[in-house]
Amino acid sequence: MAARGRCPECGSGSLVEDAHYAQQQLVCAACGCVLSEGLLTTTYTDEEHLREVAYSQSTGQKEQLSRCLQRGTRRVQDLCKVLQLPAVFEETAVSYLQRALQLPAFRLVSLQKKELLGGCCVLVTCRQHRWPLTMGTLCSLLYAPQELFAGVLLSLQRELGLSVPALSLADLVTTHLSSFRLVQPTAGVPAPFLEDKDKLLARTMAIVELASETWLVTGRHPVPVVTAAAFLAWQSLRPGPRLRCPLARFCRLAGVDLPPPAHLRLRELLDILLGMASQLSWLRGFRLDSKTVVKHVGDLLQHWLFLLKHAFSQQHGEEHQDTAPGHGCKDKDSGDKDSLGQDSPGQGSGRPSAGAQVRGGSRRPLLPPCLLRPRKRLQPAAPSAAGAAVTGDEPISDSEIEQYLRSPEEIRAFRKAKAW
Amino acid sequence: FKDDFSTSPHLFTPMSPYDLELPIQASSQLSHSKELHTDFSSVDLSFLPDVTQDNKEQNLSEDGHEMQKELDGSLPSKEDSGVFMDESSLSHPGAAQASPEAPGMCPPLTPMTPVTPASSASESSGIVPQLQNIVSTVNLACKLDLKNIALHARNAEYNPKRFAAVIMRIREPRTTALIFSSGKMVCTGAKSEEQSRLAARKYARVVQKLGFPAKFLDFKIQNMVGSCDVRFPIRLEGLVLTHQQFSSYEPELFPGLVYRMVKPRIVLLIFVSGKVVLTGAKDRSEIYEAFENIYPILRGFKK
Repeated sequence: MAARGRCPECGSGSLVEDAHYAQQQLVCAACGCVLSEGLLTTTYTDEEHLREVAYSQSTGQKEQLSRCLQRGTRRVQDLCKVLQLPAVFEETAVSYLQRALQLPAFRLVSLQKKELLGGCCVLVTCRQHRWPLTMGTLCSLLYAPQELFAGVLLSLQRELGLSVPALSLADLVTTHLSSFRLVQPTAGVPAPFLEDKDKLLARTMAIVELASETWLVTGRHPVPVVTAAAFLAWQSLRPGPRLRCPLARFCRLAGVDLPPPAHLRLRELLDILLGMASQLSWLRGFRLDSKTVVKHVGDLLQHWLFLLKHAFSQQHGEEHQDTAPGHGCKDKDSGDKDSLGQDSPGQGSGRPSAGAQVRGGSRRPLLPPCLLRPRKRLQPAAPSAAGAAVTGDEPISDSEIEQYLRSPEEIRAFRKAKAW
Repeated sequence: FKDDFSTSPHLFTPMSPYDLELPIQASSQLSHSKELHTDFSSVDLSFLPDVTQDNKEQNLSEDGHEMQKELDGSLPSKEDSGVFMDESSLSHPGAAQASPEAPGMCPPLTPMTPVTPASSASESSGIVPQLQNIVSTVNLACKLDLKNIALHARNAEYNPKRFAAVIMRIREPRTTALIFSSGKMVCTGAKSEEQSRLAARKYARVVQKLGFPAKFLDFKIQNMVGSCDVRFPIRLEGLVLTHQQFSSYEPELFPGLVYRMVKPRIVLLIFVSGKVVLTGAKDRSEIYEAFENIYPILRGFKK
């Protein structure tokens, strides 16, 4: 019969603790108003005394846990079905999910993050089995912002101590190409654009490997590289009718998204190929540009190791003094001649000059593009010199501080303007 | 010589010189799924978009001071240090032959005064990381009226709906401070410990001049960020394969590799251009030590 406080309705002090169907209530004896009710679910004494308990300390979370787990498991199962993963993946992912939900780090996060947890477990499982699944795909399935997904993935990796191997680029090429619609006759795709899947796959793999050798892949998103490489491979397998098809149209025909960086990757790949082409003995006479070099991609890929060594200088000026023997191979690819002296307008100022430079004997080094075109940065003028003089305990002059304070007129004007 | 490349193009081979370690790592993960090298070439996911983020394609600020805020809360937990002690002997092949650079750099004894590493032997890198940002906190030990401060100070901004603190800036040393109503203050942007202390004192003086009985208690450096350039490009894919326990490289998320060093407990962001950002240090010697630890590893991946 503890009386605490007064009734808000009638102001009477006679408050009674009563039970209504086993639910504790604090009732005013005078007017019958219910001041507060106990919660039905917990057994903590705090709640019996009608004080609020945080979710993390209540017993409610034990019941919530199974519901959470059920929802998460269902989500994982749906994901595995949609992505057509083998059955073993589902078991592994669910076991990770169970382990994760035992930990307080995941039990007490927001519902949105719990939704993503299932997706993260699926991703980790796929990575461990070398199944190429990109985060972009998973995020689009879960309708999740990528930053949030990344955060949950990293904390999952840390808490459970899982090793998440890197995405294998070769496998990604395989799955990415299998979704291209240019391998079977489809309505809307002209006959010259159809291509044999194995040939396309082999050549795309070779181009992707070349890209990773020449620093175009490290640090970049993998999918645009694969898209650009597939486009180049497709063009080079039958240059005649396909050279005029731009990247955007190619992606539309193939039924694939065009990621914005793919144009840049394509440009970088062509740059590398042009550099290599300058070292092929039977191409030296021609003035190649980004269109015509596509016709010779087959040859360039066949001898890429040799060409890379000769076209680009190694790191510390370690130049190969090897005289290139005549290869004696015939120009297999296209019967038509390249138009000599064809200047491609507006193809990018870097390319013709790069070609001329290489032929001139000075080779550009094989470096990541960010090092080849460094952005101008404002260097702070001698920071160490200024910093060394400071001891941290210098006297601070009043005038220096006063410059940061408002004058009375300013304050008045400010007050008027802001009506504080 | 005549190169014979008539065979099919090489499959994707990792570039690391530590090829021998790879089968061990791969098999330990796939130990219970040997039969699972299944064929996914028939899987057609064309109905799913791959949402790429083009803003990540620009080379994110290689000396990314902004990254420091994200990494503040993401240092490895204590259990890491126990698990990875045996790994470190495998992953630091250069450690056996590289003697400690200077007497002051022996890991167990961190000197009280900051010591710039002396370039004594040829093993030392000769590169000194530059400090870019220092975060420190101090307790002014009095309750503050933030509205009052924002009204009377020129260099203050206060938007309670967005953030519950006054953001104040001074020009010399160029820093920013977050001043909370409890009297606690965070000072960021200084390039050295002394500058941070001087700046914090100046902020405290401003608050004093505004009429509050501010003191200057418990000044503490919470985080230091340094950066440097090793001047050669780095094969991040190789580094993540050989130092898997410490590194996290997700090109879909971030162009750099995140290396969580255990001793000293520093997080390094390593980029393909050779720029390295070190953060999470409480003392500048930790930054120097971490860099001297990572330099031989990176040298191994020079191409």
